[in-house]
Amino acid sequence: MATHTPPSFLSASLKVFDLSLGQMLWSRRTVFMALVVGGPVLIALAVRLAESLGGDLKMNGRTIVGDAVFGMMVWWFFVRFTVPVLAVFYGTALMADEVEDKTLTYLFSRPIPRGSVLVGKYLAYLVCTGLVVLPSVMLVYFLMVPGRGGSVAATFPLLLADLGILFLGLAVYGAVFAFVGAYFKRPVLLGLVFLFGWEPMVLVVPGYMKKFTVAHYLQALVPHTMPADEGAASLLAGLFREAPSMTTSVGMLVVICAGFLWIATRTVERREYVLEQLGRIMMRPRPRGPAGEPTSGRDLRRIVSGGAS
Amino acid sequence: MTKTTRYFVSGAAAVLVTGLCTGLVAYYGGIPTGAFNAATGPADLAYLPADSAVVAHANVSDVMGSDLRQKLRAVMPEGPESQGQAEFKEQTGIDIEQDIEAVTSAVVSGEQAGPHKMGGLLVLRGRFDAGRLEALAREKGADAENYKGARLVTMTRKADADAEGDAAQPGDHVSFTGAAAFAEPGVIILGNVEQVRAAIDRKASGQNLTTNADMMNRISAVDNGANAWAVGRFDAIAAQAKLPEQVAAQIPPVAWFSAAGHINGGVTATLRAEARDDEAAKNLRDVLNGFMALAKLQAGSNPEIQAIAQSLALGGSGKNVEVSFTLPSELFDLLIAKHQAEKNKAL
Repeated sequence: MATHTPPSFLSASLKVFDLSLGQMLWSRRTVFMALVVGGPVLIALAVRLAESLGGDLKMNGRTIVGDAVFGMMVWWFFVRFTVPVLAVFYGTALMADEVEDKTLTYLFSRPIPRGSVLVGKYLAYLVCTGLVVLPSVMLVYFLMVPGRGGSVAATFPLLLADLGILFLGLAVYGAVFAFVGAYFKRPVLLGLVFLFGWEPMVLVVPGYMKKFTVAHYLQALVPHTMPADEGAASLLAGLFREAPSMTTSVGMLVVICAGFLWIATRTVERREYVLEQLGRIMMRPRPRGPAGEPTSGRDLRRIVSGGAS
Repeated sequence: MTKTTRYFVSGAAAVLVTGLCTGLVAYYGGIPTGAFNAATGPADLAYLPADSAVVAHANVSDVMGSDLRQKLRAVMPEGPESQGQAEFKEQTGIDIEQDIEAVTSAVVSGEQAGPHKMGGLLVLRGRFDAGRLEALAREKGADAENYKGARLVTMTRKADADAEGDAAQPGDHVSFTGAAAFAEPGVIILGNVEQVRAAIDRKASGQNLTTNADMMNRISAVDNGANAWAVGRFDAIAAQAKLPEQVAAQIPPVAWFSAAGHINGGVTATLRAEARDDEAAKNLRDVLNGFMALAKLQAGSNPEIQAIAQSLALGGSGKNVEVSFTLPSELFDLLIAKHQAEKNKAL
């Protein structure tokens, strides 16, 4: 009698990735993602059209050249908004969607490590968002830089840096919010509070608290000058800004990404997800055996068949 | 993976790969972007040495004809400067405000620059009476000769060497032979005689500043829309400055600098520094950002200073750091009105 050996963690993750990529790409969130990344492309197209009709883009009475406009767009649209927001909506949904749709049990009842479900979905998130955000940046670059006083030859290394930073941002924020989605009850709300409350507030306050943000390290890598607002917060940020070195930033981002992905995987492996009839998500620590070991797939199957409350 | 998903992934990957390949080809010089463009910078760059440390240009007729100049001229009292200008015009026939169209200059460092290892070359373009100028120079003891089709007027001056001279010791007598060459109609080159001769040779041979791609790229960046600009290698200047070690250690690691301004009703200026690496540029940007934030906070309720502080903008990417500001014509109107009011009050 042939015996089936369970797939390895990597192979299981790749199978989940294959399954999840299509689902993620053609979900309702794709419309939101298309709007978020399509906006900068449309703006760049409009600026280009206006320029071809004789218009000029000016700031403080000074005509600004293509690479400066591109730098500002990278800051405003991608680093500060698109990357964190997409990470919140996709990252928190990695596990929460399966719980909400009550399909998590089908995945967990497969003979694969539970953690591979999260890792596979995380990889699908990275490919899905990366393949939408990075081409959008590329289109904005080629619409804005050549022929507007900018040079592709001179700024191409900066484009490569931008693409690398944005991908790293998607990876790090994605890992953080994957954990938030796997652990907390209202992950989107928490994620938005973290992004638009905690991070901007802590970044302008002098002291060490900014080290507990992703933005502190990610923004230090951006090769373009940070655009300054006219507000008092921006002035304070200008006075108290202390950017970590590139090595520190990259190192910390890698550590944060790996650390949160590991915690998220452990959380998924240890936590019991209980699906209620009304669709509310209840999460509690996964029951353990007499020796403290996690319960087996049999318990999960019991959940599917309605044996668990 | 479904067929639709596969198409989407392939499409997105194709956009990325096409963009990256185009960028790579451009980066490694495969696309001659300059081939279809007009020549960069003023024509007089052809007289300047390829290894110039600093190059500067001013479109004098633009600046003199600007609204700002006219406004200032209307309120400025006649002083010794205008008397000097009148005397100069009487002697040379040159009206500085009308006859000089452009000035292009270079600072040359190294052995070719003479005993001080730092010399200059000036190219004036405008309307000059060559015969009158030569006659005036001869009156003052100058010699004249022909050099490769150009009229060259030279004058030697003996002076005591100063303590800064490298080749001569303090107290030694050194001689400096200055020259002016009428290289082509409407162009005068000024400098030491070796440099002026070399300038004429450079124009003929084509081995001049226009062959220096590094400098020309930077000139092309500042020449766009500015009527006065300067570009230079910071290291060449700093090396000649003989700064104390403590001071030199505090100077940010800047490789190139440039300044460009456009003067019309107001003044728009951009100062740019190119640091040695991205990290140095980032640090410099942070320092400048702090200073600018402080300046904006300090500007307070003073409308003139506030206008300047608010127009300050920090920019630049990668190794470039850029500070720009605009002094609008309204600000000058305000200052002129204030000046007039004070003047009337004094009367």
